[in-house]
Amino acid sequence: MSVQEILADENELTHLLGAQQAVVLSTRVRLARNLAGFPFPGWAKPAHRKEIAERCLEALTKLPRFRKAHVFKMGDLPDLDRAVLVERHLVSKELAAGKSGAAVISRDQTCSVMVNEEDHLRVQIVKSGWHLRGSWNLAEQLDDALGASLSLAFSDQLGFLTACPTNVGTGLRASAMVHLPGLCLAGHMDKVSRALSQDGLAVRGWLGEGTEAAGNVFQISNQQTLGLSEEAIMRHLSGWVKTLVDQEWHARRKLAAEEGERFVDRLARSLGLLRHARMLTSSESMNMLSHLRLACDMGCLPEERRHVIDRLMIEGQPAHVQAKQGAELDSDGRDHRRATTIREALRDFPEVGAPTA
Amino acid sequence: MPTPLKCSLCAATATVHLTQIVQGKVSKVDFCEACASQGGAGDAAVFKLADAVNAVVTVATLTCPECGFSDVELRRRGRLGCPSCWQIFGDALGGLLGKIQHEAQHVGRAPVGTVPVGQLRHRLQVATLEMQAAITAEDYEQAAKLRDEMARLTTQLANL
Repeated sequence: MSVQEILADENELTHLLGAQQAVVLSTRVRLARNLAGFPFPGWAKPAHRKEIAERCLEALTKLPRFRKAHVFKMGDLPDLDRAVLVERHLVSKELAAGKSGAAVISRDQTCSVMVNEEDHLRVQIVKSGWHLRGSWNLAEQLDDALGASLSLAFSDQLGFLTACPTNVGTGLRASAMVHLPGLCLAGHMDKVSRALSQDGLAVRGWLGEGTEAAGNVFQISNQQTLGLSEEAIMRHLSGWVKTLVDQEWHARRKLAAEEGERFVDRLARSLGLLRHARMLTSSESMNMLSHLRLACDMGCLPEERRHVIDRLMIEGQPAHVQAKQGAELDSDGRDHRRATTIREALRDFPEVGAPTA
Repeated sequence: MPTPLKCSLCAATATVHLTQIVQGKVSKVDFCEACASQGGAGDAAVFKLADAVNAVVTVATLTCPECGFSDVELRRRGRLGCPSCWQIFGDALGGLLGKIQHEAQHVGRAPVGTVPVGQLRHRLQVATLEMQAAITAEDYEQAAKLRDEMARLTTQLANL
Protein backbone atom coordinates (compact mmCIF):
# COMPACT_ATOMS: atom_id res chain seq x y z
CA MET A 1 0.00 0.00 0.00
CA SER A 2 1.74 3.19 -1.07
CA VAL A 3 1.12 6.81 -1.90
CA GLN A 4 2.28 5.99 -5.44
CA GLU A 5 -0.94 3.97 -5.85
CA ILE A 6 -2.95 7.00 -4.77
CA LEU A 7 -1.23 8.94 -7.53
CA ALA A 8 -1.70 6.25 -10.16
CA ASP A 9 -5.28 5.21 -9.41
CA GLU A 10 -8.04 6.82 -11.40
CA ASN A 11 -10.31 8.98 -9.28
CA GLU A 12 -12.95 11.65 -9.62
CA LEU A 13 -10.75 14.66 -9.14
CA THR A 14 -7.93 13.95 -11.56
CA HIS A 15 -9.70 11.83 -14.15
CA LEU A 16 -12.89 12.42 -16.05
CA LEU A 17 -15.00 10.14 -13.85
CA GLY A 18 -17.31 12.49 -11.95
CA ALA A 19 -19.42 15.21 -13.44
CA GLN A 20 -17.06 18.05 -14.32
CA GLN A 21 -18.48 21.49 -13.76
CA ALA A 22 -17.63 25.04 -14.57
CA VAL A 23 -17.12 27.18 -11.42
CA VAL A 24 -17.50 24.48 -8.72
CA LEU A 25 -14.44 22.22 -8.71
CA SER A 26 -15.42 19.97 -5.84
CA THR A 27 -17.73 19.46 -2.87
CA ARG A 28 -16.49 18.45 0.55
CA VAL A 29 -18.31 17.34 3.69
CA ARG A 30 -16.42 16.81 6.94
CA LEU A 31 -17.65 15.43 10.27
CA ALA A 32 -15.69 15.71 13.53
CA ARG A 33 -16.29 12.84 15.97
CA ASN A 34 -14.67 11.67 19.21
CA LEU A 35 -14.71 8.54 21.31
CA ALA A 36 -16.41 8.89 24.70
CA GLY A 37 -14.08 8.50 27.68
CA PHE A 38 -10.80 9.37 25.95
CA PRO A 39 -8.86 12.66 26.04
CA PHE A 40 -8.78 14.57 22.75
CA PRO A 41 -5.60 13.86 20.71
CA GLY A 42 -3.97 17.22 21.54
CA TRP A 43 -4.13 16.46 25.29
CA ALA A 44 -3.87 12.66 25.24
CA LYS A 45 -0.71 10.86 26.34
CA PRO A 46 1.03 8.74 23.67
CA ALA A 47 -0.38 5.51 25.16
CA HIS A 48 -3.91 6.89 24.92
CA ARG A 49 -3.37 8.08 21.38
CA LYS A 50 -2.16 4.61 20.46
CA GLU A 51 -5.25 3.01 21.93
CA ILE A 52 -7.54 5.53 20.21
CA ALA A 53 -5.84 4.84 16.87
CA GLU A 54 -6.18 1.08 17.33
CA ARG A 55 -9.89 1.28 18.17
CA CYS A 56 -10.70 3.66 15.35
CA LEU A 57 -8.67 1.80 12.74
CA GLU A 58 -10.24 -1.48 13.75
CA ALA A 59 -13.76 -0.06 13.39
CA LEU A 60 -12.96 1.71 10.13
CA THR A 61 -11.28 -1.15 8.30
CA LYS A 62 -14.28 -3.39 8.99
CA LEU A 63 -16.65 -1.10 7.10
CA PRO A 64 -17.61 -2.21 3.57
CA ARG A 65 -16.88 1.31 2.31
CA PHE A 66 -13.23 0.84 3.33
CA ARG A 67 -12.73 -2.59 1.82
CA LYS A 68 -9.17 -2.71 0.48
CA ALA A 69 -8.73 0.88 1.67
CA HIS A 70 -5.37 2.59 1.94
CA VAL A 71 -4.28 2.82 5.56
CA PHE A 72 -1.45 5.25 6.24
CA LYS A 73 0.24 5.80 9.58
CA MET A 74 1.87 9.21 9.43
CA GLY A 75 4.88 8.05 11.46
CA ASP A 76 5.70 5.43 8.80
CA LEU A 77 5.51 7.74 5.80
CA PRO A 78 8.38 9.72 4.26
CA ASP A 79 7.96 13.53 4.21
CA LEU A 80 7.24 13.64 0.50
CA ASP A 81 4.42 11.08 0.69
CA ARG A 82 2.76 13.00 3.50
CA ALA A 83 3.03 16.21 1.48
CA VAL A 84 1.34 14.49 -1.50
CA LEU A 85 -1.59 13.48 0.71
CA VAL A 86 -1.90 17.06 1.98
CA GLU A 87 -1.85 18.49 -1.55
CA ARG A 88 -4.63 16.09 -2.53
CA HIS A 89 -6.65 17.24 0.50
CA LEU A 90 -6.77 13.66 1.76
CA VAL A 91 -5.13 14.62 5.04
CA SER A 92 -4.61 18.00 6.73
CA LYS A 93 -1.29 19.75 7.27
CA GLU A 94 -1.80 19.25 11.01
CA LEU A 95 -2.21 15.49 10.69
CA ALA A 96 0.83 15.25 8.41
CA ALA A 97 2.94 17.25 10.87
CA GLY A 98 2.45 14.80 13.74
CA LYS A 99 3.68 11.24 14.06
CA SER A 100 0.73 9.65 15.82
CA GLY A 101 -1.97 10.34 13.23
CA ALA A 102 -3.32 7.92 10.67
CA ALA A 103 -5.57 8.09 7.63
CA VAL A 104 -7.88 5.57 6.02
CA ILE A 105 -8.66 6.37 2.40
CA SER A 106 -11.23 4.50 0.33
CA ARG A 107 -10.06 2.95 -2.95
CA ASP A 108 -11.85 5.56 -5.05
CA GLN A 109 -10.42 8.35 -2.81
CA THR A 110 -13.94 9.74 -2.21
CA CYS A 111 -14.03 8.92 1.52
CA SER A 112 -11.17 9.47 3.90
CA VAL A 113 -10.99 9.43 7.66
CA MET A 114 -8.24 11.08 9.66
CA VAL A 115 -7.52 9.50 13.03
CA ASN A 116 -5.93 11.50 15.87
CA GLU A 117 -6.01 14.86 14.15
CA GLU A 118 -7.50 17.59 16.37
CA ASP A 119 -10.37 15.17 17.02
CA HIS A 120 -10.23 11.38 17.22
CA LEU A 121 -12.08 11.03 13.93
CA ARG A 122 -12.46 13.39 11.00
CA VAL A 123 -14.65 11.82 8.34
CA GLN A 124 -14.36 13.45 4.94
CA ILE A 125 -16.23 12.98 1.67
CA VAL A 126 -14.98 14.71 -1.49
CA LYS A 127 -16.81 14.69 -4.80
CA SER A 128 -15.99 16.35 -8.07
CA GLY A 129 -18.36 19.19 -9.05
CA TRP A 130 -21.25 20.37 -6.86
CA HIS A 131 -22.84 17.34 -5.18
CA LEU A 132 -23.67 18.31 -1.62
CA ARG A 133 -26.65 15.99 -1.25
CA GLY A 134 -24.76 12.91 -2.46
CA SER A 135 -21.72 13.76 -0.34
CA TRP A 136 -23.89 14.25 2.73
CA ASN A 137 -25.67 10.91 2.22
CA LEU A 138 -22.30 9.16 2.17
CA ALA A 139 -21.14 11.01 5.29
CA GLU A 140 -24.35 10.12 7.10
CA GLN A 141 -23.99 6.44 6.25
CA LEU A 142 -20.39 6.41 7.47
CA ASP A 143 -21.35 8.27 10.63
CA ASP A 144 -24.10 5.76 11.44
CA ALA A 145 -21.79 2.84 10.73
CA LEU A 146 -19.13 4.30 13.03
CA GLY A 147 -21.68 5.12 15.73
CA ALA A 148 -22.83 1.51 15.69
CA SER A 149 -19.38 0.16 16.52
CA LEU A 150 -17.84 2.98 18.58
CA SER A 151 -19.22 4.88 21.56
CA LEU A 152 -19.14 8.52 20.43
CA ALA A 153 -18.90 11.54 22.74
CA PHE A 154 -22.29 13.26 22.53
CA SER A 155 -24.27 15.58 24.76
CA ASP A 156 -27.94 16.31 24.45
CA GLN A 157 -27.34 20.03 24.69
CA LEU A 158 -24.05 20.44 22.84
CA GLY A 159 -24.29 17.63 20.30
CA PHE A 160 -21.10 15.90 19.20
CA LEU A 161 -18.32 17.00 21.55
CA THR A 162 -15.13 18.17 19.87
CA ALA A 163 -11.76 19.50 21.00
CA CYS A 164 -12.45 22.96 19.60
CA PRO A 165 -15.56 25.06 20.35
CA THR A 166 -15.77 25.97 16.66
CA ASN A 167 -16.71 22.38 15.71
CA VAL A 168 -19.02 21.31 18.52
CA GLY A 169 -22.63 20.35 17.75
CA THR A 170 -22.98 18.85 14.31
CA GLY A 171 -19.20 18.71 13.80
CA LEU A 172 -20.10 19.44 10.19
CA ARG A 173 -18.02 21.51 7.84
CA ALA A 174 -19.54 21.58 4.36
CA SER A 175 -17.59 23.30 1.64
CA ALA A 176 -17.37 24.08 -2.03
CA MET A 177 -14.12 24.61 -3.93
CA VAL A 178 -14.96 27.33 -6.41
CA HIS A 179 -13.05 28.78 -9.34
CA LEU A 180 -13.84 32.49 -9.63
CA PRO A 181 -11.60 34.07 -12.30
CA GLY A 182 -14.42 36.34 -13.50
CA LEU A 183 -15.06 37.90 -10.10
CA CYS A 184 -11.29 38.17 -9.47
CA LEU A 185 -10.54 39.83 -12.83
CA ALA A 186 -13.45 42.23 -12.33
CA GLY A 187 -11.99 43.16 -8.91
CA HIS A 188 -15.09 42.05 -6.98
CA MET A 189 -13.52 39.35 -4.85
CA ASP A 190 -12.92 41.50 -1.75
CA LYS A 191 -16.55 42.56 -1.72
CA VAL A 192 -17.73 38.97 -2.21
CA SER A 193 -15.46 37.70 0.60
CA ARG A 194 -16.80 40.33 2.96
CA ALA A 195 -20.42 39.51 2.15
CA LEU A 196 -19.80 35.80 2.67
CA SER A 197 -18.04 36.20 5.99
CA GLN A 198 -20.73 38.56 7.26
CA ASP A 199 -23.25 35.84 6.52
CA GLY A 200 -21.41 33.13 8.46
CA LEU A 201 -19.33 31.57 5.70
CA ALA A 202 -15.54 31.31 5.67
CA VAL A 203 -13.56 32.01 2.49
CA ARG A 204 -10.16 30.37 2.23
CA GLY A 205 -7.50 29.69 -0.38
CA TRP A 206 -6.84 26.48 -2.28
CA LEU A 207 -5.19 24.58 0.55
CA GLY A 208 -7.50 25.70 3.34
CA GLU A 209 -6.79 27.84 6.37
CA GLY A 210 -4.13 30.51 5.94
CA THR A 211 -3.37 29.79 2.30
CA GLU A 212 -3.46 32.13 -0.66
CA ALA A 213 -6.05 31.81 -3.35
CA ALA A 214 -3.70 30.63 -6.08
CA GLY A 215 -5.38 30.18 -9.45
CA ASN A 216 -8.53 32.08 -8.38
CA VAL A 217 -9.66 29.01 -6.46
CA PHE A 218 -11.46 29.54 -3.16
CA GLN A 219 -12.91 27.27 -0.54
CA ILE A 220 -16.25 28.41 0.89
CA SER A 221 -17.49 26.71 4.07
CA ASN A 222 -19.89 27.14 6.99
CA GLN A 223 -18.47 28.65 10.18
CA GLN A 224 -21.17 27.70 12.67
CA THR A 225 -21.75 24.11 13.74
CA LEU A 226 -23.99 24.45 16.81
CA GLY A 227 -27.63 25.52 16.96
CA LEU A 228 -28.24 24.78 13.30
CA SER A 229 -29.32 21.45 11.84
CA GLU A 230 -27.16 19.80 9.18
CA GLU A 231 -30.01 20.50 6.77
CA ALA A 232 -29.99 24.23 7.60
CA ILE A 233 -26.18 24.46 7.30
CA MET A 234 -26.26 22.84 3.87
CA ARG A 235 -29.21 24.90 2.66
CA HIS A 236 -27.36 28.08 3.63
CA LEU A 237 -24.18 27.03 1.82
CA SER A 238 -26.12 25.83 -1.24
CA GLY A 239 -27.93 29.15 -1.51
CA TRP A 240 -24.65 31.05 -1.55
CA VAL A 241 -22.95 28.66 -3.97
CA LYS A 242 -25.84 29.14 -6.38
CA THR A 243 -25.54 32.94 -6.04
CA LEU A 244 -21.77 32.78 -6.54
CA VAL A 245 -22.09 30.64 -9.66
CA ASP A 246 -24.62 33.11 -11.11
CA GLN A 247 -22.47 36.13 -10.25
CA GLU A 248 -19.34 34.48 -11.60
CA TRP A 249 -21.05 33.76 -14.94
CA HIS A 250 -22.37 37.30 -15.04
CA ALA A 251 -18.86 38.69 -14.44
CA ARG A 252 -17.35 36.40 -17.09
CA ARG A 253 -19.88 37.31 -19.78
CA LYS A 254 -19.56 41.00 -18.98
CA LEU A 255 -15.75 40.83 -19.21
CA ALA A 256 -15.87 38.89 -22.47
CA ALA A 257 -18.33 41.38 -23.98
CA GLU A 258 -16.50 44.48 -22.77
CA GLU A 259 -12.95 43.35 -23.49
CA GLY A 260 -13.62 41.56 -26.77
CA GLU A 261 -10.36 40.46 -28.37
CA ARG A 262 -8.38 41.46 -25.27
CA PHE A 263 -10.30 38.82 -23.26
CA VAL A 264 -9.38 36.09 -25.75
CA ASP A 265 -5.82 37.42 -25.96
CA ARG A 266 -5.32 37.00 -22.21
CA LEU A 267 -6.41 33.35 -22.36
CA ALA A 268 -4.43 32.66 -25.54
CA ARG A 269 -1.27 34.14 -24.00
CA SER A 270 -1.59 31.82 -21.01
CA LEU A 271 -1.85 28.80 -23.31
CA GLY A 272 1.15 30.04 -25.30
CA LEU A 273 3.21 30.55 -22.17
CA LEU A 274 2.33 27.19 -20.64
CA ARG A 275 3.02 25.44 -23.95
CA HIS A 276 6.51 26.88 -24.32
CA ALA A 277 7.90 27.74 -20.87
CA ARG A 278 10.87 25.69 -19.63
CA MET A 279 10.50 26.78 -16.00
CA LEU A 280 7.19 27.33 -14.18
CA THR A 281 6.62 28.16 -10.52
CA SER A 282 3.64 26.67 -8.76
CA SER A 283 1.72 29.94 -8.44
CA GLU A 284 2.49 31.03 -12.02
CA SER A 285 1.22 27.76 -13.43
CA MET A 286 -1.88 27.86 -11.21
CA ASN A 287 -2.76 31.32 -12.46
CA MET A 288 -2.21 30.39 -16.13
CA LEU A 289 -4.14 27.12 -15.74
CA SER A 290 -6.97 29.15 -14.21
CA HIS A 291 -7.14 31.07 -17.51
CA LEU A 292 -7.29 27.82 -19.47
CA ARG A 293 -10.09 26.52 -17.28
CA LEU A 294 -11.94 29.75 -17.90
CA ALA A 295 -11.31 29.27 -21.65
CA CYS A 296 -12.88 25.78 -21.51
CA ASP A 297 -15.91 27.05 -19.57
CA MET A 298 -16.42 29.89 -22.04
CA GLY A 299 -16.13 27.71 -25.14
CA CYS A 300 -12.80 29.25 -26.18
CA LEU A 301 -11.29 25.78 -25.79
CA PRO A 302 -13.20 22.47 -26.10
CA GLU A 303 -15.00 21.66 -22.83
CA GLU A 304 -13.77 18.07 -22.84
CA ARG A 305 -10.24 19.35 -22.20
CA ARG A 306 -11.21 20.74 -18.80
CA HIS A 307 -10.30 17.60 -16.86
CA VAL A 308 -6.71 17.82 -18.16
CA ILE A 309 -6.45 21.28 -16.62
CA ASP A 310 -7.97 20.12 -13.32
CA ARG A 311 -5.45 17.28 -13.22
CA LEU A 312 -2.54 19.65 -13.93
CA MET A 313 -3.69 22.00 -11.14
CA ILE A 314 -3.40 19.11 -8.69
CA GLU A 315 -0.29 17.51 -10.17
CA GLY A 316 1.53 20.84 -10.52
CA GLN A 317 1.84 21.17 -6.75
CA PRO A 318 5.40 20.81 -5.38
CA ALA A 319 5.12 17.38 -3.71
CA HIS A 320 3.24 15.92 -6.68
CA VAL A 321 5.93 17.13 -9.08
CA GLN A 322 8.62 15.44 -6.98
CA ALA A 323 6.60 12.26 -6.49
CA LYS A 324 6.21 11.99 -10.24
CA GLN A 325 9.95 12.43 -10.69
CA GLY A 326 10.50 9.85 -7.96
CA ALA A 327 13.04 12.03 -6.23
CA GLU A 328 13.35 15.18 -4.16
CA LEU A 329 14.04 18.22 -6.32
CA ASP A 330 15.24 21.72 -5.52
CA SER A 331 13.13 24.70 -6.49
CA ASP A 332 14.65 25.02 -10.00
CA GLY A 333 14.35 21.30 -10.55
CA ARG A 334 10.67 21.40 -9.59
CA ASP A 335 9.96 24.38 -11.84
CA HIS A 336 11.64 22.63 -14.75
CA ARG A 337 9.85 19.32 -14.16
CA ARG A 338 6.48 21.10 -13.75
CA ALA A 339 6.98 23.00 -17.03
CA THR A 340 7.84 19.74 -18.83
CA THR A 341 4.73 17.93 -17.56
CA ILE A 342 2.45 20.83 -18.48
CA ARG A 343 4.09 21.32 -21.88
CA GLU A 344 3.57 17.67 -22.74
CA ALA A 345 -0.04 17.63 -21.54
CA LEU A 346 -0.93 20.72 -23.56
CA ARG A 347 0.96 19.78 -26.74
CA ASP A 348 -2.14 18.77 -28.71
CA PHE A 349 -4.41 21.49 -27.33
CA PRO A 350 -6.17 23.47 -30.09
CA GLU A 351 -5.84 27.25 -30.40
CA VAL A 352 -7.93 29.51 -28.16
CA GLY A 353 -10.96 30.79 -30.09
CA ALA A 354 -13.72 33.33 -29.51
CA PRO A 355 -16.12 32.63 -26.61
CA THR A 356 -19.36 30.79 -27.35
CA ALA A 357 -20.80 30.37 -23.83
CA MET B 1 20.03 54.27 35.85
CA PRO B 2 17.34 51.60 36.22
CA THR B 3 18.31 48.00 35.45
CA PRO B 4 17.15 47.05 31.96
CA LEU B 5 14.13 44.73 31.96
CA LYS B 6 14.73 41.08 31.19
CA CYS B 7 12.87 39.14 28.46
CA SER B 8 10.05 37.05 29.95
CA LEU B 9 11.11 34.06 27.86
CA CYS B 10 14.91 33.96 27.67
CA ALA B 11 16.30 36.52 30.18
CA ALA B 12 18.07 38.61 27.50
CA THR B 13 17.61 42.39 27.65
CA ALA B 14 14.04 43.23 26.73
CA THR B 15 13.34 45.87 24.09
CA VAL B 16 9.64 45.10 23.37
CA HIS B 17 7.28 45.99 26.22
CA LEU B 18 3.62 45.15 26.21
CA THR B 19 0.87 46.32 28.52
CA GLN B 20 -2.45 44.61 28.12
CA ILE B 21 -5.60 45.65 29.93
CA VAL B 22 -8.25 42.96 29.81
CA GLN B 23 -11.44 43.64 31.76
CA GLY B 24 -9.62 46.09 34.00
CA LYS B 25 -6.79 43.66 34.76
CA VAL B 26 -3.41 45.08 33.81
CA SER B 27 -0.64 42.71 32.75
CA LYS B 28 2.84 43.62 31.57
CA VAL B 29 5.26 41.47 29.61
CA ASP B 30 8.68 42.19 28.17
CA PHE B 31 10.42 40.46 25.27
CA CYS B 32 13.86 40.69 23.69
CA GLU B 33 13.82 41.40 19.97
CA ALA B 34 14.51 37.78 19.02
CA CYS B 35 11.63 36.34 21.06
CA ALA B 36 9.23 39.07 19.93
CA SER B 37 10.05 38.44 16.28
CA GLN B 38 9.56 34.71 16.78
CA GLY B 39 6.02 35.55 17.71
CA GLY B 40 5.74 37.18 14.28
CA ALA B 41 6.15 40.74 13.09
CA GLY B 42 2.53 41.76 13.55
CA ASP B 43 1.18 43.08 16.83
CA ALA B 44 -1.51 40.41 17.01
CA ALA B 45 1.14 37.69 17.04
CA VAL B 46 3.13 39.42 19.79
CA PHE B 47 -0.03 39.69 21.86
CA LYS B 48 -0.61 35.97 21.36
CA LEU B 49 2.88 35.39 22.72
CA ALA B 50 2.06 37.67 25.64
CA ASP B 51 -1.11 35.67 26.28
CA ALA B 52 0.91 32.49 26.34
CA VAL B 53 3.39 33.94 28.85
CA ASN B 54 0.58 35.28 31.01
CA ALA B 55 -1.16 31.94 30.90
CA VAL B 56 2.00 30.27 32.19
CA VAL B 57 2.07 32.44 35.29
CA THR B 58 -1.69 32.21 35.93
CA VAL B 59 -2.76 29.74 38.59
CA ALA B 60 -5.35 27.17 37.58
CA THR B 61 -8.72 27.71 39.24
CA LEU B 62 -10.64 24.94 37.49
CA THR B 63 -9.39 21.47 36.58
CA CYS B 64 -11.16 18.58 34.85
CA PRO B 65 -11.14 15.57 37.24
CA GLU B 66 -11.34 13.22 34.25
CA CYS B 67 -8.22 14.32 32.35
CA GLY B 68 -6.43 16.96 34.47
CA PHE B 69 -6.97 19.73 31.90
CA SER B 70 -7.11 23.20 33.51
CA ASP B 71 -8.55 26.60 32.61
CA VAL B 72 -4.96 27.81 32.13
CA GLU B 73 -4.52 25.24 29.35
CA LEU B 74 -7.88 26.22 27.92
CA ARG B 75 -6.75 29.85 27.65
CA ARG B 76 -3.44 28.83 26.15
CA ARG B 77 -4.74 26.36 23.56
CA GLY B 78 -8.31 27.43 22.89
CA ARG B 79 -9.13 23.69 22.86
CA LEU B 80 -10.50 21.30 25.48
CA GLY B 81 -8.83 18.25 26.99
CA CYS B 82 -11.54 15.58 26.82
CA PRO B 83 -15.31 15.21 26.30
CA SER B 84 -15.94 15.65 30.08
CA CYS B 85 -14.20 19.05 29.97
CA TRP B 86 -17.34 20.37 28.26
CA GLN B 87 -19.23 19.89 31.54
CA ILE B 88 -16.47 21.41 33.65
CA PHE B 89 -15.76 24.44 31.47
CA GLY B 90 -19.28 24.78 30.10
CA ASP B 91 -19.98 27.99 32.02
CA ALA B 92 -16.65 29.53 31.05
CA LEU B 93 -17.38 28.70 27.39
CA GLY B 94 -21.02 29.80 27.43
CA GLY B 95 -20.20 33.35 26.39
CA LEU B 96 -17.82 32.26 23.66
CA LEU B 97 -20.32 29.78 22.20
CA GLY B 98 -22.93 32.54 22.10
CA LYS B 99 -20.53 34.65 20.04
CA ILE B 100 -19.17 32.09 17.59
CA GLN B 101 -22.13 29.72 17.28
CA HIS B 102 -25.72 30.16 16.19
CA GLU B 103 -27.33 28.98 19.42
CA ALA B 104 -26.11 26.98 22.44
CA GLN B 105 -28.52 24.09 21.82
CA HIS B 106 -27.69 21.29 19.40
CA VAL B 107 -30.43 20.68 16.85
CA GLY B 108 -28.65 18.27 14.53
CA ARG B 109 -28.41 14.51 14.36
CA ALA B 110 -27.49 12.19 17.24
CA PRO B 111 -25.41 8.99 17.27
CA VAL B 112 -27.32 6.01 15.95
CA GLY B 113 -29.48 4.51 18.75
CA THR B 114 -29.45 7.69 20.88
CA VAL B 115 -32.68 9.57 21.53
CA PRO B 116 -31.83 13.27 21.71
CA VAL B 117 -34.23 14.15 24.56
CA GLY B 118 -33.02 17.73 25.01
CA GLN B 119 -33.37 18.33 21.33
CA LEU B 120 -36.94 17.02 21.25
CA ARG B 121 -37.89 19.24 24.20
CA HIS B 122 -36.23 22.20 22.50
CA ARG B 123 -38.10 21.55 19.25
CA LEU B 124 -41.36 21.25 21.20
CA GLN B 125 -40.77 24.69 22.74
CA VAL B 126 -39.90 26.25 19.38
CA ALA B 127 -42.89 24.59 17.67
CA THR B 128 -45.21 26.02 20.37
CA LEU B 129 -43.95 29.53 19.63
CA GLU B 130 -44.14 28.97 15.90
CA MET B 131 -47.74 27.75 16.20
CA GLN B 132 -48.74 30.84 18.17
CA ALA B 133 -47.12 33.01 15.49
CA ALA B 134 -48.93 31.07 12.75
CA ILE B 135 -52.28 31.55 14.48
CA THR B 136 -51.60 35.29 14.87
CA ALA B 137 -50.76 35.46 11.17
CA GLU B 138 -53.96 33.48 10.43
CA ASP B 139 -51.90 30.81 8.66
CA TYR B 140 -54.11 27.96 9.88
CA GLU B 141 -52.66 25.37 7.53
CA GLN B 142 -49.17 25.90 9.00
CA ALA B 143 -50.62 26.01 12.54
CA ALA B 144 -52.28 22.62 11.99
CA LYS B 145 -49.00 21.14 10.75
CA LEU B 146 -47.21 22.43 13.84
CA ARG B 147 -49.99 21.12 16.12
CA ASP B 148 -49.48 17.63 14.61
CA GLU B 149 -45.72 17.89 15.05
CA MET B 150 -46.18 18.93 18.70
CA ALA B 151 -48.51 15.99 19.34
CA ARG B 152 -45.91 13.66 17.83
CA LEU B 153 -43.11 15.14 19.95
CA THR B 154 -45.20 14.97 23.14
CA THR B 155 -45.99 11.28 22.57
CA GLN B 156 -42.35 10.55 21.74
CA LEU B 157 -41.19 12.23 24.97
CA ALA B 158 -43.88 10.55 27.09
CA ASN B 159 -42.86 7.10 25.82
CA LEU B 160 -39.21 7.44 26.84
